[in-house]
Amino acid sequence: MSGGEFYRASSVQEALDLLAKYGAKAHVLAGGTDIMVKVNRRQLAPEVLVYIGECGLNYIKDLGDKVVIGGATPFAEILRSDVVKQKLPLLAEAVKHIGTPAIRNVGTIGGNLVTASPAADSSVPLLALGASVKLASKSGERVVPLEAFFKGPGETVRKPDELLVEVIIPVPDKDVKFAYHKIGRRKAGTLSVVAGAVIFKAEGGAPRGTAIARDQACYFEKCSQARVVLNAVAPTPLVAKKASALLEGSALDAELIAKVAKTAAEETSPIDDVRASAWYRRQASEGLVKSLLERIVA
Amino acid sequence: MALNVVGQRVKRYDGLAHVAGETRFVDDVIVPGTLVVKGLRSPVPKGKIKSLDVSAAEKVPGVVAVMTHKDVPNNRYGWGGDQYVLAEDHVRYRGELIAVVAAENEDAALEAVDKMKLEIEEQEPVFDPLEAMKPGAPKVRPEGNIFMYGDSPCRKIIFGDVNEGFKKADIIVEGKYHHQGLKHAQMEPHVSLAVPEATGRLTIYTVSQAMYFHLTWVCNIVGLPMSKVRMIGGTVGGGFGAKNDVHADHIAALLALKTGRPVKWRWTREEDLLFSTFRGSWDMEFKDGVTKDGRLVARQVKSIRDSGAYTSLNAYVVDKHCFLVAGPYFIPNVYVEGYCVYTNKPPASSMRGFGITPATYAGEMQMNKIAEALGMDPWELRFKNAFREGEMTATQRVLDSVALIETMQALAGLVGKELPPHLKAMASTQKREG
Amino acid sequence: MYTLELKVNGRAYKVEVKATTTLLQVLREKLGITGPKVGCETGDCGACSVLVNGKLVKACITNALTVHGKEVLTVEGLGRPGAFHPLQLAFHEHYAAQCGFCTPGMLMAAKALLDENPKPTRDEVKEALSGNLCRCTGYVKIVDAIMAAAGEKA
Ligand SMILES: Cc1cc2nc3c(=O)[nH]c(=O)nc-3n(C[C@H](O)[C@H](O)[C@H](O)COP(=O)(O)OP(=O)(O)OC[C@H]3O[C@@H](n4cnc5c(N)ncnc54)[C@H](O)[C@@H]3O)c2cc1C
Ligand code: FES
Ligand code: FES
Repeated sequence: MSGGEFYRASSVQEALDLLAKYGAKAHVLAGGTDIMVKVNRRQLAPEVLVYIGECGLNYIKDLGDKVVIGGATPFAEILRSDVVKQKLPLLAEAVKHIGTPAIRNVGTIGGNLVTASPAADSSVPLLALGASVKLASKSGERVVPLEAFFKGPGETVRKPDELLVEVIIPVPDKDVKFAYHKIGRRKAGTLSVVAGAVIFKAEGGAPRGTAIARDQACYFEKCSQARVVLNAVAPTPLVAKKASALLEGSALDAELIAKVAKTAAEETSPIDDVRASAWYRRQASEGLVKSLLERIVA
Repeated sequence: MALNVVGQRVKRYDGLAHVAGETRFVDDVIVPGTLVVKGLRSPVPKGKIKSLDVSAAEKVPGVVAVMTHKDVPNNRYGWGGDQYVLAEDHVRYRGELIAVVAAENEDAALEAVDKMKLEIEEQEPVFDPLEAMKPGAPKVRPEGNIFMYGDSPCRKIIFGDVNEGFKKADIIVEGKYHHQGLKHAQMEPHVSLAVPEATGRLTIYTVSQAMYFHLTWVCNIVGLPMSKVRMIGGTVGGGFGAKNDVHADHIAALLALKTGRPVKWRWTREEDLLFSTFRGSWDMEFKDGVTKDGRLVARQVKSIRDSGAYTSLNAYVVDKHCFLVAGPYFIPNVYVEGYCVYTNKPPASSMRGFGITPATYAGEMQMNKIAEALGMDPWELRFKNAFREGEMTATQRVLDSVALIETMQALAGLVGKELPPHLKAMASTQKREG
Repeated sequence: MYTLELKVNGRAYKVEVKATTTLLQVLREKLGITGPKVGCETGDCGACSVLVNGKLVKACITNALTVHGKEVLTVEGLGRPGAFHPLQLAFHEHYAAQCGFCTPGMLMAAKALLDENPKPTRDEVKEALSGNLCRCTGYVKIVDAIMAAAGEKA
């Protein structure tokens, strides 16, 4: 084992040239928090490493109705960003629960998505927000909705010569309701057993905490643009389509909350692994979605 | 009288070295030219080794030595003397060491391990100690799955007459408890560095928690007198009982002697978690006879320890468990049986309390259960039964300097429990009535 | 092999590394700087924590070549006998080190916190240490020490 080759790309163009040249032999290296673990555990001996940490892909831009984040932006930068805090509080909340400070200092949003772990934590808020990713290669660029990006555990539609250069996140309306929660084996530094987000636009809600809100079983008269998202309970991060559809256009009451939670759990196809059993994950999914909706209406 | 240490806050003598990053743990001892080690471990929990061919491994560039059991002067070791330095014809747990290689670097060592040709006939394993005790269970070892205390399959403690005790009881409270297996997860993984010297002496930098025991083992394994082997220990990055067994010293020593070079073996965290000793699980069954006013008059316990594939400290762990499972309470009639049962797991061994921690867990759960059955405050039950000065334990030891009642009184204050006057007035020195 | 140039604790070094060599291997095996420990090599335990250009990282999963031209700080550069960093003295005073294996990493995580947030709350300290495991102390004394170093009476 010679140990392979290492290139430090100083621009996106240089990175794309290297990927074009080496194709499937090349492994992009961003923060290394996934790839170096595999190297240390002898699960991967990369022939070519293309380091993209200093090629200009570390940025967060406010484009008004959307926020774009460079593919090699570390989570710590996303947490620190006022734009994200103000415009994408759901993303900010989820990123807090990824890894530990040292992991967030270098671990990137692009690396998290391309690793395509079913438990990838940034995928939950990003799917809920309807984000897309921009993939670039020497021969051009394409934008893929995140929902169409994941194919299976560790598999995406990315071609070997493509770089994930940007994550594009539509800014939701100010009055959307959302909630996020991660269930792990510990409070920090642990992968998800299941994490989930619920987001929707609500119309005609009774004022919070009022007698009306409590007496009327109906919390909101109409929900729209609803999404229920879970990770670590299917081969890819999961948009629970049927559960989301139940919310769409409906009045939200306790009965619907229970139904949405149950439906979301039915849409999962979890496995047993070291973190939890399939049985537990399915139970937890139902409880999680229920508590997220209850948190929103509380 | 002014005391220098008692009652004073004393700083750690090694504290400043710790915060300076100067404390030299075994892995921090760096000797130029040191070889690294990797091992071929059993891929199956139980099997018969049909053949092992290491010739290709020996030819890998950078490999300096390969060893199998044939190269070990004395291949048996361990607290029970039943472990194999390197497996001979059988393997009894996944991860059991079969062959080792010393090489100039990790890549070469790993390649050599990959090139070893091992043919193994997998056999039916048993993992659950309760299953392993049944007649007809797959045999972990040819002589059977239960450690023999002389001619008894269990350690017994007999004090008074438990059946007479049950007759005097108003109620019988039974309880079954399971304590899961646990890994120490000490921060410093197992590691050893062995440095041969021109004088014929061998110096071993060890993480051992039981260095002088281990010194005799290593001398025996490598076939050197104790005057030729020096162990340097004392700086341990956490042990918690994990380092009461030899994990790496003997292999580093053998390879250092074979190659004439310094040899370091550091287990990966994964190896440490999967294959080093751990606290085996426990299954404990209690039957207690209690009077209406809350006196324990009889306790019968049957405990089963999952010991993994080899004896290690398990027999001793079961001993200590049996000695103490009746708890810090005066019970005139006690009968305990403790079994040390083999399964196809890595050898279990000591961890923080040698079997007493699970005994305390189960025993105190049982006390709560009794209190509930009697409708009595669990504090009251414990005070009523707590040992007093001069009372005798189930192992027939007369106690002095007893202070459980006083300790509980202090504890009540700390947790904000208001004790009734008669418990506040109680003292260990008062003789028990009746 | 590649030539890596970096500064560690203020001193410049030039070493030969492979494409996959980690920063921890460079520090321990090439430079003999053994303050950062090998605890897991998977980024989980924090025993290898160091600062790179002031940022906390796990040296065991940091590709060495990504540190080219940068400055690394290890416990050895935090403070020496006679000129200890307040955190080092506080760890000693407050019994925050028992076996001492986690201590170098804990100190670096604490330093990263106080550099960014000189007056943290106990919860912020716990969050900052969430990537550093200690098996001996149970963490309370470590948090006490950091609060004390931050000038709070713990
Ligand atoms: C201790 C620890 C805790 C962790 N906790 C969490 C957690 O809580 N939640 C979670 O989701 N993950 C967690 N992770 C996993 C990991 O930190 C994240 O997935 C991280 O976002 C990976 O990013 P990276 O930049 O480090 O990726 P790298 O390791 O550099 O790369 C990962 C993969 O993506 C490819 N890649 C990277 N960037 C690009 C790009 N721009 N274009 C194309 N391909 C690219 C690489 O080739 C590689 O295959 C944890 C990891 C560790 C070690
Ligand atoms: S050794 Fe780096 S985090 Fe454990
Ligand atoms: S002091 Fe031993 S691990 Fe922290």
